[in-house]
Amino acid sequence: MLPYVFRRLLQAVPILLAVAALIFVLFSVIPGDFASSQMADGRTNVDAETIARMNKQFGLDKPLPQRLAQYVGGLATFDLGDSFRTRQPVTTLIAERLWPSLQLAIAAMFFAVVIGVPLGFLAAVKPGSWIDMLSMVFAVSGLSLPLFWLGLLLMYAFALTLGWFPSFGYGDGDPRYIVLPAFALGVAPLALLARTARAAVLEVMHADFIRTARAKGAGSYRVLRQHVLRNALVIVLTTLGLQFGSVLGQAVVVEKLFAWPGLGSLLVDSVTWRDIPVVQGCILTIVLFFLIVNIAVDVLCAVVDPRIKYS
Amino acid sequence: MTRFAGFLLAGAACALGLAAPAAAQQKAPLSILRVIDADNYDPIRSTATAAAEVVYMMADTLVSVDFDMKTIKPGLAESWTVSPDGKTYTFKIRKDVKFCDGRPMTIEDVVYSLKRWTEPGNKSPVAFRGGPVQDIRAEGDSTLIYELKEPYSDLLFQLALSFASVLDKNTVEKLGANFGVQGFNGTGPYCWVKWTPRQELVLKRNPHYAWGPPIYKDPKPQIEDIVWKVIPESNTLMAAIQAKQADVTYYMPYIALDTMQRMPGMTVQRQENYIYDVFMGFKVDKPVSKDPAIREAVNMAVDKQAIAKAIFFGKGTALPSLLNPAVLDYDKDTVAKTPKHDPAGAMKLLDQAGWKPGADGIREKDGQKASFVVYGIRNEVNPRISEAMQADLRKIGVELKIQLWDATVAWGKLATQEFDAFYMAYPYVTATEALNLYFASRQAPTPNRMNWKDPKTDELLKTAATAVDPAKRKEAIGAVQMQLTDANVWVPLASQPLWLVAGDRVEGARAHGIYGAGLYKGLDIKLKR
Repeated sequence: MLPYVFRRLLQAVPILLAVAALIFVLFSVIPGDFASSQMADGRTNVDAETIARMNKQFGLDKPLPQRLAQYVGGLATFDLGDSFRTRQPVTTLIAERLWPSLQLAIAAMFFAVVIGVPLGFLAAVKPGSWIDMLSMVFAVSGLSLPLFWLGLLLMYAFALTLGWFPSFGYGDGDPRYIVLPAFALGVAPLALLARTARAAVLEVMHADFIRTARAKGAGSYRVLRQHVLRNALVIVLTTLGLQFGSVLGQAVVVEKLFAWPGLGSLLVDSVTWRDIPVVQGCILTIVLFFLIVNIAVDVLCAVVDPRIKYS
Repeated sequence: MTRFAGFLLAGAACALGLAAPAAAQQKAPLSILRVIDADNYDPIRSTATAAAEVVYMMADTLVSVDFDMKTIKPGLAESWTVSPDGKTYTFKIRKDVKFCDGRPMTIEDVVYSLKRWTEPGNKSPVAFRGGPVQDIRAEGDSTLIYELKEPYSDLLFQLALSFASVLDKNTVEKLGANFGVQGFNGTGPYCWVKWTPRQELVLKRNPHYAWGPPIYKDPKPQIEDIVWKVIPESNTLMAAIQAKQADVTYYMPYIALDTMQRMPGMTVQRQENYIYDVFMGFKVDKPVSKDPAIREAVNMAVDKQAIAKAIFFGKGTALPSLLNPAVLDYDKDTVAKTPKHDPAGAMKLLDQAGWKPGADGIREKDGQKASFVVYGIRNEVNPRISEAMQADLRKIGVELKIQLWDATVAWGKLATQEFDAFYMAYPYVTATEALNLYFASRQAPTPNRMNWKDPKTDELLKTAATAVDPAKRKEAIGAVQMQLTDANVWVPLASQPLWLVAGDRVEGARAHGIYGAGLYKGLDIKLKR
């Protein structure tokens, strides 16, 4: 198993480099620059000389290949450069924001798993029942609701009307602050997990080996626990992994709405200000997280299902 | 079980007993909400309102501006005199001032800070505001001489801006480029504690501070701690104020102001003298917009009242003239000269000028269609303004082609000659400042994007800028206002209002608004609990 994990991690290196180069080139060719964005409040005389001076200051006057080579060289030493805007190292900025983002992603997936998976299993065990109907209505609604709107609704209901939770902020670790953003972020994966779990269980329940187990006299509970759930879990785990990875990307909207100081809000701000080193750093971190979660899920699948062997 | 319950009760009682006096002494910080953070808080390096609004609380200027936005009052300077030729300003500096770290402010700190702002070598984007400086020097330990190459009538107003803040020389030199990023040491009523970029900036009361400007009732700060919090999403900001999770903001969406006014305990007040104007400017050398008849007809066709109402949800006002009536040296006679909303009159004017309707309804003259391109920044108001104007102009047979740009691209685009007209919103403190900035020939192509090059304007602007006598300044800058109004170089649209919203815990908050700083020094504000 360890050689497999090591090989997967090695494979991630060229992917990361390719992503880094792609982001770098994309942000270099799209219109707009940091110098102009600095003048965006309209209080200054913007002239070509000022913009040229600022571009030189940040090394933006050099040819693209030279800048790209410098950037990739920096990556080799884990140097993501300095923020144009705050002059702080990008690694420092990301380090400050990574933990709040991870907290949010973990909490969102906690909601999704704790509610979504049992809901899907229940719906599959009693297909056509009111539980099935209700869970699927919930699942479809959860997938269809725009995240921004859902966040506002939650804020209105639970912060403004009931006053149970704060409407924004991080709260220095106070758990009440994470509830609304995490639930808003967790609803879509929750819905998807419920649907996936239902489909997986239904599929396994119609498999030949289940019929065989029943023919051999195994009780319903035993069939469900030992045969159906374990087999369905592999599919659920794979979905879970994919969702976990993408939640960090989707957090952009939630973090902005709830003023949550995570990677997503850092990314949005940095795009607005054309703070390219920070944008690149944030995207790379999200990609890296996605890759790591996927490797972890592959390993977990092998643990759950002994038939899966990695070499 | 009983013993356990008793233990718990005793513990709770002890905890309450210990906590109660502490709670009585310490109030939660004043929480001020805003939508954007600054990139740094070095007064000479940032032009953003987001920097100025905090710098005003952390540092002082030689003079201050009263709530009327027209009267200069003392600040760090107790008094001042101006030489008869208007070139030398002599400031008597207070001797009782201390920085946040407790070190007494010296005249060297004042000279150092003002030189740092104005010297070209420091490349401050706002150095021009300091005027044509000959020399800034100390005389004795409490007299500052600000010597100019030529008179500069706006100097006192510019010295009241946050860029001219007096800073601790030692801290500036110690932190270098990180001044205003990693730390700050000023003489303001509140001191820098901690900045978490894009999240919050924490300030603490300056324990020495007792030299607040005389525009306030109490020269000392009344609050222990202030936290400036950033909430980029305006709906969340609104909810946070309603849920009493924060105390004050002047970034409340206009659409929510009526709701706020209806809420018990909420104070909503407008700064009537706040100056932040929205206008459309014409390039006067482009094929269509060079025709004065077109410019006048556009001014007549546009329903400014409707636009002001639409973009500010009834909380803003249409501009009656080229400049804001609240500004120093405003010429009220320009109101009568400014074209009134009269689409029928606009059509008649165009007919008389030879612009005849074409087959597609767009007017033509000498094979030239009455069509022009407007550029602007894609912000919250420009899309609505441009679409409303497009509809108004279509009715008189003039075509408006709209091209709005992302803020990171817009300033580059607005420096080109690709467009015929442009939208702009800008704050200013005096008429002389605003018009010198935008209409002097030397300012073309930016910010004189109109390409307005007129010797008479230049002469009058120079007269106003260098006037020693305020009456002469007013006369000269009034003549410029009249000339530009006659030429219809701009379509003055609306005055963006400043509304301060404060929760029931706050008392004494009053909207100021210099350079967008709604709370200015933050004095006179008290917390009830």
